[in-house]
Amino acid sequence: MALSSPANALVAFRSINKSFGSTQALVDLSLQGSAGSVHAITGENGAGKSTLMNLLAGVHQPDSGEISVRGQALRLESPAQAQNAGVSTIFQELTILPNLTVAENLFLGREPHRTGIIDRSLMRRRAEQALELVKCRVDVNAYCQALSVAEQQLIEIAKGLMADADIFILDEPTAALNGPEVDTLGELIHSLKTAGKLIFYISHRLEEIFRFSEAVSVLKDGRLVGTFETHELTQDELISLMVGRPLGQLFPPRNPHPSYLGCALEVSELVTSEPEHAVSFRINRGEIVGFAGLQGQGQREIIRAVAGVGPHVGGRVKKRGPGDALQNVDLSIVAVARSGIGFIPEDRKSEGLYLSLSIEQNVALGMLRQLAMWRRAHVRKSGIDDLLLRMRVRANDQGQLVSSLSGGNQQKVMLGRWLASGVDVLLVEEPTRGVDVGAKSEIYALLREFANSGGAVLIVSSELTEILGLCDRILVVRDGEITAELDGVGTSEEEIMRYALAGSTADARKEL
Amino acid sequence: MPVSIMKSNRSGLRLATIALPALLFVVLSILSPAFLSVQNLSNINGQIAALLIVSLGQLVVALIGGIDLSVGAVLSLTTTIIVSVSPDFALPAALLAGIAIGLVNGIGVTVAGVHPLIMTMASMTFLQGLALLIHPVPGGTVPDYLAGLAWTSAAGVPAAFFWCVAAVTIASFLLSMTRFGLRLFAIGANQASAARNGIAVRWYSVSCYVICSVAATIAGIFISARVSSGDATVGAPFALDSITAIAMGGVQLAGGTGSVAGVVLGTITLGLLTNGMNLVGISPFLRTAATGLLLLVAISMQRRTVIGV
Repeated sequence: MALSSPANALVAFRSINKSFGSTQALVDLSLQGSAGSVHAITGENGAGKSTLMNLLAGVHQPDSGEISVRGQALRLESPAQAQNAGVSTIFQELTILPNLTVAENLFLGREPHRTGIIDRSLMRRRAEQALELVKCRVDVNAYCQALSVAEQQLIEIAKGLMADADIFILDEPTAALNGPEVDTLGELIHSLKTAGKLIFYISHRLEEIFRFSEAVSVLKDGRLVGTFETHELTQDELISLMVGRPLGQLFPPRNPHPSYLGCALEVSELVTSEPEHAVSFRINRGEIVGFAGLQGQGQREIIRAVAGVGPHVGGRVKKRGPGDALQNVDLSIVAVARSGIGFIPEDRKSEGLYLSLSIEQNVALGMLRQLAMWRRAHVRKSGIDDLLLRMRVRANDQGQLVSSLSGGNQQKVMLGRWLASGVDVLLVEEPTRGVDVGAKSEIYALLREFANSGGAVLIVSSELTEILGLCDRILVVRDGEITAELDGVGTSEEEIMRYALAGSTADARKEL
Repeated sequence: MPVSIMKSNRSGLRLATIALPALLFVVLSILSPAFLSVQNLSNINGQIAALLIVSLGQLVVALIGGIDLSVGAVLSLTTTIIVSVSPDFALPAALLAGIAIGLVNGIGVTVAGVHPLIMTMASMTFLQGLALLIHPVPGGTVPDYLAGLAWTSAAGVPAAFFWCVAAVTIASFLLSMTRFGLRLFAIGANQASAARNGIAVRWYSVSCYVICSVAATIAGIFISARVSSGDATVGAPFALDSITAIAMGGVQLAGGTGSVAGVVLGTITLGLLTNGMNLVGISPFLRTAATGLLLLVAISMQRRTVIGV
């Protein structure tokens, strides 16, 4: 392939290995990018795209292997060193700081100065030019906490593109942007390319990959599937390269008539914090309902308020109690758990599991939940064994510490603990974050099995495929409000995105 | 709308920050005729100058989300060094000690990863012991040139006032004009994001602890000049007082929010309270109790993100 000939390679990754704990994020990965091109990097979530780019950005260092820029092997120990080597990164998680103004954020780390004293008028002028570039109309003196997510993303882009660099990394830059804003970004990328820069464009939005890039590298489970010339591929070919299998096999079949089993959870007029809107929804027994939407639109706040771990200002939650009657639930974490609602947080390591305890103890803590405090804490070991076997937790024995398990097995233990304690409603944040593909389908099957036996599940996920494949009903959240209720079967990714994006930045600002 | 103003600035100033000292001022001038006398006002000024300098140092550490409990012990140690070392080396020796203590605190927190409370509590205890060892009984002689620095007045304005003005000017310059200051706010808001913007977070954090220790040393120099003696326990109340003063000035101990103006107002509030209680004849022990209450009230009024339970 002409694209990866080492002669004109500006950046070359050679045999890179990188692991986090027991998860191998990148395996013997080699990749090259040449000047004057847009090189897309794609793959499923957790394929290693962001990890690879974080190595070039100096955020992480490879365990083995070599990164060379302009033919020179470099060890990038910090983001500052990467910047000095001519790498400018637009990170997926916004690095905009809320207590700095737009201008300060744009120039943080390279403020125009005279002997350490910031030249504020020059900074403001150049900030205005930068915002002009991305067609973002905000006051450069405004503090960033008052801005919408889309505006912050535009500022992040302006900041990255302004840098005096040869290599640009754009990690999911369009997550919060609407159509015209993406067009503007396209023009900017094109002008960088013609100026001889190398742009690494990470995205799983296929249309953008085909619009912007010359070359595309597909990653899967930390390995390189291949680097291809974009125009030689069709969308379908690219998808099958990314997924490596048809989507259908990943997800269990759905429940055809969940509503007949009755209501399990009813949330009415829930207000999570002052500026947000009130939301109402219900979940039936036997049903899996998913919140979809762009990140940071309030779906996480809603599920956390229902779980009793996040703040709520007003509203009521009712849950099915004995004899099918709906009973009010006090929204404190203790009362919520007592009423039979389990919450599986996104960050299971710090918020969910007892990492330094064994699998057995983690599960037993769930089983003992209903016992009085002074009762002897006796748990039948065989009960736990059955559970672990049923959940297919891969561990040497029950005594193994949870911290030594892989992400997927940890999630199963987390799930197992709630199942063992006999809850009938599960609230799950990002059910498969940091979980390898094999364990993913097992977790989906467990959630479905739970629903089929009369339980109700509410999930929040940033992975649209997960929402589409798993959920019976999809609630789209935008700006703290449920903007659409869609059937899980027959809904497309585009339809969800339409509701998730419907408001332009102008609308969002009006509501502030 | 006032709400939106408070939401979108990083000074942490709110109505109460400004109203409380103003209210105290009015109440005290009504309650006690002696309060408004030039003599008493310059007295207050002298009393709060040291606290102001220490609190400005505490502000710098608080901006990055740290805390320094050792400031009082540093202050005490400084006064003992000054009366124990030969007059020619008194100032350099005190400043060197201050820098060294700041370095140890900063490196302990950022490199060794010790929690700032524990790290600075350990150095506080260590330094307190050291100060008592050097100079167990209050007394000694302070170099002559120092007394002049604290007691002379120019055009009727007492020297303490100039110390305050100098400290406020330097702190304001550092925090609002320089790259250094801006980056402290960035680190305090989100260390990881700041690092991704190419800021050497560790270097800045260590610098903050050094600045804070040096500020406490300077306050110690001022105090030893004012009382013309060394006292190994004179600094004891400063750790809590400086934290109370910055909290009342709207500085968020979680980092990223605070201002020099707020610290000045917080220090004045605390100073007026002490002075007022004196004038009105309330027991000084009650003043200590009041400081504890004020700290609680000031911290409770700050907006924080709610965590579960």
